[in-house]
Amino acid sequence: MDEMMSTENMEEVRVLEAQIERLQAEVEALQCQQQNNNKDITLQLRGKMKDAMSYLCGQTQGELEEKVMSQLKEEVEELEEDLKQQTQMNGICLNSCITKTLQSGSKVVQQLCVSGQCAELVFQVEFQLSEVKEGQQSERTISGLNVVMDNSDPQNFSSFLSGVEERSDLLLFFRTLRTFSDRCDDRGRTFKHFKEKYPSVVSFPGGSRSEVMALNHPELPGCVLFVHWSVEVSCEGEVTPKVGLLTKIPEEALQLFPFQSLGGAAEAFQSLLRILGPEAAVESVIRAISLSQES
Amino acid sequence: MKNKCTFFSLFTTLLNFCVSSAELTVLILPQNLQKLRASMDKQCSQEEEEEEEEEKMDDDSENSQLLQLMARHTQLKDLLHAHHIIGTMFKYQGKGLCASLTTAYEGVYLETYNVEIDLKPRLRISRHNVPPFIPLSSLAEQSNMQTDIRSFLDTLSKHLNAFAGRKQQLKLVKELHKSVEVLESNVLCSVLVMLLTLPGEKSTVLCTLNYTDHTRLLPSGVHFECKDKALPDAPEWKKNCSLLMETPVHKALMTMKKNETIL
Repeated sequence: MDEMMSTENMEEVRVLEAQIERLQAEVEALQCQQQNNNKDITLQLRGKMKDAMSYLCGQTQGELEEKVMSQLKEEVEELEEDLKQQTQMNGICLNSCITKTLQSGSKVVQQLCVSGQCAELVFQVEFQLSEVKEGQQSERTISGLNVVMDNSDPQNFSSFLSGVEERSDLLLFFRTLRTFSDRCDDRGRTFKHFKEKYPSVVSFPGGSRSEVMALNHPELPGCVLFVHWSVEVSCEGEVTPKVGLLTKIPEEALQLFPFQSLGGAAEAFQSLLRILGPEAAVESVIRAISLSQES
Repeated sequence: MKNKCTFFSLFTTLLNFCVSSAELTVLILPQNLQKLRASMDKQCSQEEEEEEEEEKMDDDSENSQLLQLMARHTQLKDLLHAHHIIGTMFKYQGKGLCASLTTAYEGVYLETYNVEIDLKPRLRISRHNVPPFIPLSSLAEQSNMQTDIRSFLDTLSKHLNAFAGRKQQLKLVKELHKSVEVLESNVLCSVLVMLLTLPGEKSTVLCTLNYTDHTRLLPSGVHFECKDKALPDAPEWKKNCSLLMETPVHKALMTMKKNETIL
């Protein structure tokens, strides 16, 4: 019994010893990587950050920790303010930017992964950024662009996104994203305005951020006019809102009431759109429905 | 010495954790195992003692505060750098707003244009380095700069990027296609006249590209002129026409060379 136990123990001792060796090797490798990372970081640091790093590495004599801290804090506060202003003016909020340096020297190559949002549209872009310094001038190039959007409207963007990725057109992507977001906001504001003004007529079958606003006739259930307001994005990044009117009238109603005018309602609405613009056109349609109720 | 311990303590903790989890798997504790554990515990306690001698609790937390601040600094710098790459940068300076508009074509970053806008008493462009053939003031009026600065700057960016893109396409045509002679181009790069050489008889075709929409990188009109009046209606040349309408000129010329319709 004792013999069996001791062989088992010997085994476990060996296993644990091997584990410890592996862990020690891992620790050594990590320490080496840490040293390399530190070297990379210190080479790129300037100003207050360099001071702070020097302090941490014990390379500065007699520097008060508070002084280093307060100077760095001031700079950080300035940067926070800059970022806030930038986000506000740009309309694009960047939440994280992960940079991996693949190559350094006269040609610096970095892999960047930037994620953020524009209003409610969440995105993540990944690309390689190379910078070549030639004397005073430096040339920057982007390649391998990959864009991912967490979006409920994939059809709108898919052809545009593939074009953008092919041409590495990061600037166009963000400009278009912003314009698209603005047009969607226009739609949302207009829909909300009509809902507040005509609560009994207006409803949103697809939710408040949907493309469709339903106008229900107060007296005739089943007779609905749909305002379809889509925001389309072309391959070249042109953002076009398209507003159209669709009618849903049950057969019985068409027989009982001479709704001849509603037959050509879609085309008539397009003419109204051209003259009055989307909001006024929709307003006239709603008024028309409500009026017929009164009469 | 301080920093070495700060960084090394992290790894010691890691090592400790791994060792203690290994310990948990051992249910029976014979002598050999105990010896091994004892020597390891001795090592760890030695290091802990060193740390306690050199550092106090306050120093540790202050160092970590500094590290946190440094991390935030790097993060902010990275985010601002990213903003710079993805488009327009804004900076409030004095009584105005300074906007830097980045331009790029096919991933290559080109010129940056700066526009300074005074905010009071009303919005007014005070300084800029936008070339004169870009109609700054009429763009400002058209896009309601007074009420929507961002819309104006987006429109301006569209024009500038399209101009930079057309200029770059012209540069690539000159670099990559030595057999194509560029006869005429204007500063806005909205008109391009090239002389294309046909294979065989060495006769030429005059090709005119008109970019009437200045926000686009592709032409709105392509026109061929040749001694042989029937050439523009030939099927390969009708194809060439659509090629030039749908692909950037330097790429279209590459395809035309591959198809052997030009030299």
